[in-house]
Amino acid sequence: MFGKKKKRPVPQPADRSLLIDVRRLSKIYNEGKENEVRALDDISLQVRWGEFLCILGQSGSGKSTLMNILGCLDIPTYGVYYLDGQAVSNMRPSVLSGIRNREIGFIFQGFNLIPGLTALENVELPLIYRGMPASKRRGLAVEALVSVGLEKRIHHRPGEMSGGQQQRVAIARAVAAKPPIIMADEPTGNLDSKSGAEIMRQLLELNQQGTSVILITHDNQLAEVAKRIITIQDGHVISDRAGRGDFQ
Amino acid sequence: MNWLQTIRMALKSILGNKVRSLLTMLGIIIGVAAVITLVSSIQSKATLTRMQYEAMGVNTIQIYGWGGKTKDWDEFETFLDTDLSDKINGWSPMSQFNDWDGKGIQYRTMTLSNDKSYTYMYYGNQYYGTVTNNVITAGRDITEADCTSRARVCVIGETLRRYFFGAMSPIGQKIRISGKSFEVIGVYKGRFGGKMNTEDQMLVMPYTLQNAMMTVSYYTDKQYVIQAKSKEDIESVMTAAKDMMQARCESNNGYFDAYSSSEWQEQEAAEAEQNALLMGGVAMISLLVGGIGIMNIMLVSVTERTREIGIRMAIGARRRDIIMQFLVEAASVSCCGGLIGIVVGCFGAAIMGNIMLSQQLSENMWMPEVEKFTVLPSPELIAAAFLFSALLGIIFGIYPANKASKLQPVEALRIQ
Repeated sequence: MFGKKKKRPVPQPADRSLLIDVRRLSKIYNEGKENEVRALDDISLQVRWGEFLCILGQSGSGKSTLMNILGCLDIPTYGVYYLDGQAVSNMRPSVLSGIRNREIGFIFQGFNLIPGLTALENVELPLIYRGMPASKRRGLAVEALVSVGLEKRIHHRPGEMSGGQQQRVAIARAVAAKPPIIMADEPTGNLDSKSGAEIMRQLLELNQQGTSVILITHDNQLAEVAKRIITIQDGHVISDRAGRGDFQ
Repeated sequence: MNWLQTIRMALKSILGNKVRSLLTMLGIIIGVAAVITLVSSIQSKATLTRMQYEAMGVNTIQIYGWGGKTKDWDEFETFLDTDLSDKINGWSPMSQFNDWDGKGIQYRTMTLSNDKSYTYMYYGNQYYGTVTNNVITAGRDITEADCTSRARVCVIGETLRRYFFGAMSPIGQKIRISGKSFEVIGVYKGRFGGKMNTEDQMLVMPYTLQNAMMTVSYYTDKQYVIQAKSKEDIESVMTAAKDMMQARCESNNGYFDAYSSSEWQEQEAAEAEQNALLMGGVAMISLLVGGIGIMNIMLVSVTERTREIGIRMAIGARRRDIIMQFLVEAASVSCCGGLIGIVVGCFGAAIMGNIMLSQQLSENMWMPEVEKFTVLPSPELIAAAFLFSALLGIIFGIYPANKASKLQPVEALRIQ
């Protein structure tokens, strides 16, 4: 009389020692249609706490899709994703917002600062969404800006700063809330080599202080800064090797 | 995310786009200003009318008739004093003395005849002043003793005092009315600033002098003014008076009727209210258009700021944070517009009100005492206009805010 209730697949017990545990992840656009695109095809990946990982791939390889899913900006079509032991692959968007806010700091190629706000206000923004009282978040934001060497630019707007400075504001915004992961998507793509080197140096420094860093790039040279390099092509992981782990 | 922060952020975004924000507000500004100006000036006009009626005596009934015998009128007066005493505050005769000879009024060598301007001359009793809401400014009112002794005394209106006596005291002076000598015992303050050809150009003498002043017949007009105890009593007093006298007057080919300004007053008040609703409604349409303008600009703003929304979502803004941001922004625009509109509307109402007052003045109409009359809109009207404009912003902000919150972070970030 009562139909047997269809059970959801029980997530396998999560390994808390892993920061990221991705199993058989696929992202398929327009599935079943003529124009089906398999951006990610059956990817499994484990990242430990404190790693400096680089996802290397040419454009169209699926690396950005992977980073969007790892960054909880997008959800996979198939597969499970444990972030810090939580199965985030089937969470509601508002919960994902909270996860992004607490667990991940983003650094984008195009800086992605809000143009109307000053450096300080941009850095404060994630703390505001976290509901932190004004006095506390101001302190944290200033501290983060000082750590990237921008104490003199606190009240400048993004338009009044150079690209390198803007990217440093973005780093400050990413680290202000002290998240366990920093995701950097082509962070030096829009910068000259000198500013780019400065950004990479700061990422390395963050990693040395214990933050896990995931760097997404197409640049083989740059990828060598990471201790571990994963190469993506056509939605598959084609290699997983150690990197040089420093930057000259 | 707390409220203060959200509002601060919204204001920042408005100030960042001053010209556009102002243009967006324009619809609301015009709408609110129009509603306030129109409704307020209609309300001022209604208040003016109400005060005008009240100044002429509260809850008064006028009786007008002819054809009754002296005995009938005597019985009518007794009826007022006995049967209707619990519904009546007081009454007075108010028949007019018509100066058929045209001799008018004289003081020494000065004359004022009805050829030049009309003087109202009434026969009244000791209650005349109270019932008609006339205030004595000098001397005294007519007393019961004046009436019983048929004293040749009169109380003059402000216009006559100015015309004949100027700076001099009129009390105790003798004037001639239609050739007969009268002593001036008092002055009424009046309501028209003592201008010629207004109701201030009047005088009252004891009603008992009527027979001495003119030939009284059945067909002489009889008038009374009665003050009812309350608004509710007006109708029953008028009916009782008609029941008693109408048939008696008409049996002698006469006429009898009772009027009350309260009916007109209610009618005019209702009319004013209707006008206010109608005009307010028309002005409301422009407010609505203003609201749609806000929605339009907010939609543009959502499209323009797609990337910003994406960034905010990436760093942890939830759907409701985004909704709140855009709703508060829309409400702030409309509230700012509302506030500016209120200021403009207050000026508009003041200008319209003063035009109305100066019209009143030029038509020799009654003027209110300035401290009791304001041309500014009522606080209720201002509060309603403000709340409505805020509401408008929220209502028309819902759609754009919802649209913004439904953006996918990945897609929003892809937009350049």
